[in-house]
Amino acid sequence: MPSYKLTYFNGRGLGEVSRLIFAAAGQKFEDVRYERDQFPAHKAEMPLGQMPVLEVDGVKLPQSSAIARYLAKEFHLAGKDNFDQAKVDAVVDTVGDSFKGFIPTIFEQDPVKKEEIKKKFFTDDLPKHLQNLETLGKLYGNGGHFFVGNQLTWADLYFYNFAQTYIEAEADCLNNFPWLKQNRAEVEKQPKIAEYLKQRPKTQF
Amino acid sequence: MSTYKLYYFNVRGRGEVARLIFAAADQKYEDIRYEREEWVSHKSEMPLGQMPVLEYNGVKLPQSAAINRFLANQFHLAGKDNFDQAKVDAVVDTINDMISKYRPIRMEQDEAKQKELTKTFLADELPKHLQNLEGLGKLYGSGGSFFVGNNLTWADLYFYDIAQHILELDENIFNNYPWLKENRQQVEKQPKIAEYLKNRPKTSH
Repeated sequence: MPSYKLTYFNGRGLGEVSRLIFAAAGQKFEDVRYERDQFPAHKAEMPLGQMPVLEVDGVKLPQSSAIARYLAKEFHLAGKDNFDQAKVDAVVDTVGDSFKGFIPTIFEQDPVKKEEIKKKFFTDDLPKHLQNLETLGKLYGNGGHFFVGNQLTWADLYFYNFAQTYIEAEADCLNNFPWLKQNRAEVEKQPKIAEYLKQRPKTQF
Repeated sequence: MSTYKLYYFNVRGRGEVARLIFAAADQKYEDIRYEREEWVSHKSEMPLGQMPVLEYNGVKLPQSAAINRFLANQFHLAGKDNFDQAKVDAVVDTINDMISKYRPIRMEQDEAKQKELTKTFLADELPKHLQNLEGLGKLYGSGGSFFVGNNLTWADLYFYDIAQHILELDENIFNNYPWLKENRQQVEKQPKIAEYLKNRPKTSH
């Protein structure tokens, strides 16, 4: 049994998808969390000076999506064959596309400008991506509630995580997307996920 | 016998890595290239109204990264096991981080501004990304010239393709990065790749 150590900030951010995958798999791991002021002292330990980093039996792996996909494959949450795994990747990439538009709303300092770009994101930008995600769910989901092949994959966990950020900024953003709402409800109902969501640290991001 | 169709514009862009993978694998496929005016009438045929799209045995898959990884997996150019595949993914993501900083500059309409931004990119931004990539190649490359595990993988093909754009900004850039220079030369020397590079259409980007 390999030993897993995940190193990230004390927040959800780009590390949470991997934590959700560990939880869904019922897999123990060392969940190292650095506060912002602790990170500089550890930066040089990371292959790219960034987090998250996964350490498997002492070998370090950077890049959040590479980490998440690896863990998903190890724990059979990636899709049943190469093509299903590709469909899962396509869903993940589409969620990723949606998040690119959200990033400026996080970093904008001017409150008036921030509100303006936030409004534009939720009115003009996000709905297109959510529509695309529903399209993929209906195309690949075999009539079920999960994105690919009628079973939970890391695509569902990935969407669950990023959608949480959107909902915290704009509570109604999924109201016109019943398939996506149902998909999130199914994820939350999974016993190991429900347990994890109840216990996990409540953080600002 | 599986059938592969790739739909993209008649440029390298986000479609070329898939074409390089097909070439390296010596795999036949239908290389569909739409000119811009033709594309309008085909947009609604694509799951997300975008290209590239791969059609595998009649089923469509969007998102260039998902397509590239799927093809690499099919043709054993993805890495020998889950962890090597994760290292390949990490290299690809690091190349993406580099290119995401450059794309906005390419979109800049004002020529003077673009020149200025390009200068800053080359001086301040690009070096750390190239250093990161050399770092990963030395960490994962088992002492060889390929990024992961002493074998050609799609990470090498992806870097080869993206580097061509960087070289258009500064043809001497890799003189300061001998490992990356050698990596590209090793890719070009692969017989099937050399043949493909000689015969492929010459396009603007």
